[in-house]
Amino acid sequence: MQVAKRLEKFKTTIFTQMSMLAIKHGAINLGQGFPNFDGPEFVKEAAIQAIRDGKNQYARGYGIPDLNSAIAARFKKDCGLVVDPETEVTVTSGCTEAIAATILGLINPGDEVILFAPFYDSYEATLSMAGADIKCITLRPPDFAVPINELRSAISKKTRAILMNTPHNPTGKMFTREELNEIASLCIENDVLVFSDEVYDKLAFEMDHISVASLPGMYDRTVTLNSLGKTFSLTGWKIGWAIAPPHLTWGVRQAHSFLTFATNTPGQWAAAAALRAPDSYYVELRRDYATKKQILVEGLKEAGFKVFPSSGTYFVVVDHTPFGLENDIAFCEFLIKEVGVVAIPTSVFYLNPEEGKNIVRFTFCKDEGTLRSAVERMKAKLKRT
Amino acid sequence: MKDKLSAVAKTFSPSPIQQLSHLAQRRNAINLAEGFPDFPAPSLLKSAAVSAINSDFNQYRHVQGICDRLAKIVKDTHGLEVDPLTDITICCGQTEAFAAAIFSIIDPGDEVILFDPSYETYNACISIAGGVAVYVALNPPHWTLDNEKFLKSFTSRTKAVVLNSPHNPTGKVFSKDELEVIATACCTNDCLAITDEVYEHITYDNTKHISLASLQGMQERTIITSSLSKTFSVTGWRIGWAIAPTAIASAIKNIHVRITDSAPAPFQEAALTALESQPQFFESLRQVDYELRRDFLARILAEVGLCIQFKAQGSFFIFAEIPEECLLSDVDCVRKLIEEAGVVGVPGCGFFHSNKLVEVGADNFYQKRYIRFAFCKSDDTLAAAAQNLQEFVNKAGAFDRSESVKC
Repeated sequence: MQVAKRLEKFKTTIFTQMSMLAIKHGAINLGQGFPNFDGPEFVKEAAIQAIRDGKNQYARGYGIPDLNSAIAARFKKDCGLVVDPETEVTVTSGCTEAIAATILGLINPGDEVILFAPFYDSYEATLSMAGADIKCITLRPPDFAVPINELRSAISKKTRAILMNTPHNPTGKMFTREELNEIASLCIENDVLVFSDEVYDKLAFEMDHISVASLPGMYDRTVTLNSLGKTFSLTGWKIGWAIAPPHLTWGVRQAHSFLTFATNTPGQWAAAAALRAPDSYYVELRRDYATKKQILVEGLKEAGFKVFPSSGTYFVVVDHTPFGLENDIAFCEFLIKEVGVVAIPTSVFYLNPEEGKNIVRFTFCKDEGTLRSAVERMKAKLKRT
Repeated sequence: MKDKLSAVAKTFSPSPIQQLSHLAQRRNAINLAEGFPDFPAPSLLKSAAVSAINSDFNQYRHVQGICDRLAKIVKDTHGLEVDPLTDITICCGQTEAFAAAIFSIIDPGDEVILFDPSYETYNACISIAGGVAVYVALNPPHWTLDNEKFLKSFTSRTKAVVLNSPHNPTGKVFSKDELEVIATACCTNDCLAITDEVYEHITYDNTKHISLASLQGMQERTIITSSLSKTFSVTGWRIGWAIAPTAIASAIKNIHVRITDSAPAPFQEAALTALESQPQFFESLRQVDYELRRDFLARILAEVGLCIQFKAQGSFFIFAEIPEECLLSDVDCVRKLIEEAGVVGVPGCGFFHSNKLVEVGADNFYQKRYIRFAFCKSDDTLAAAAQNLQEFVNKAGAFDRSESVKC
């Protein structure tokens, strides 16, 4: 019984594999990017109220009006752009679906799409589903800067879109204004779309987050993707969105309508409340995460890792080679079994796995106690060779 | 920049149905169009969801218990043995389960047989996956399966048959005999089946819903999709599933993870409570409420002069026919009902399709003569609809009066 050819790229995700191994060995999980603490009470209360108020039936396919408005308002606050909630905002089941809907709605089989490696693992798989022709540009340590000359060579009039992620998972890199200006001018010159995954935009520590859509000439060709989960520590609620000009939103909505049809209603009501949170919420969020980051980064350095600077997200990548393991997967397995800590091997985030073999990713979206315990285990058990 | 749309997305156009729905909103018309309840979801489920949120079940989650429970349910109900660890994927509604199923098995050029009339979303999904929809018309007025038409629609490129039973929009429940014809054809042609069984617990007059997968030779080639939505009146929670043979289920799961990653966590917890609820709960849904509403709605539609030659055996839709005496199309008839009666239905044309391959010279006039009405509505809503329609008949006359000037 034949499964479709597009599935050659699809296997169980690395996260599932590592999580299973972690449970088996009682390891502290700094691998998968979800918090072990819960979201804010006021958002949970809003969802509960919505359920009690009977908001349990199909929402309007592209989002309840209140949430679309809240998303537009937040976007204006963040980057100054005024968008129409009715025609330029689409609510989806998480940012993962926003990405899938964007790609399936706007990419034809054979279209050329540029990706930056390392990349969140659903990008490559979803582009394969759409039959895209993937061109990959690698961001390299220590600062994972965009290699502009490579980008200039790669992009041409044949290019349909660039898929980018800032702040960047797994490296924590944030695209600078200079880099974004370069990308913008190349996209305008070659008439290329940009799909920008900005789920970690509120976890920007070392510099301000810049939405590429806000650069001159860019809004008309950009789909900006985001979600509730990371900002509000409710990763399981699956509320995401895509902001794009009407002609691009049209494609996103068409795909969305057959992927999931509508997004869960109570979660949307709660998300609208969440997005109206005062600035103090975001200040405190950054402060909490900054503290967690410091615990992890200092601990990793003391344990002997070479730690690359991370400007945003709740991830940090490190070079594990001081410990003498052959590659990232071997290191991660060793780390789980012998040290009792989980990290994610980054080779799966590259088209060419070799490029990631020295690098693994840790997350600090865990409570401080957990982070300290993990750091202690690593300091005690890791020996440089 | 319009050329930046994908080729398939460009073929989708705004529907007359959308325009009618705006009109209905402006007129504040009684909504018998949308297929979801306007009465509350069961308290049992709401409490379970609230409890889940309060218990911090709010991060990425896969609730294996749902799979375990579903495996037991399909065993008890349909006699199917499935492995809950490998054969079941929890998705954001049946919509996503179907999309993942299509992407898991359809290669560009593969043909998929659909029964017409059919729910529009199936076609959109098949197109984006590069598949080709092949429609086999069910014969009005009783929407019977035409064996000859069906068997003729198979080619060497046929990959799958899609079966929605109980059926939206007609309310048909495919009979055992019809299922056997479908099963035999699938086995003979060595193709797959994808079922949409969302109305599986909503049947009437002791009609039994039979799962296609339970027929001889079918389990190994069938993907079952269904959801919590219609059974438990929580269409807004987005909890559905796909059940398939292990190799295909694995593919579906891997695709699902890239489409949405997981279904909403607190509602997965509530789903477990729902699925574990007593069998009596299912019974109460089936017998008391919906059957009475069906009969009530059928009566009031008949009084307006619409023809109901086929009594819905399942789902919560009545697919009513415009009588001969009335020359209006379904769209115009719905518009008239919105404007003059303040009641909304869905013009049937959105569910009908034509094939390039078959139906040459066939009479497709009937495709513009049906209106779908939903009766998953509260007593108050149905009573208000009845009143409005009565007033409409008094003023404008019923549709089956032969004074054509009325239409």
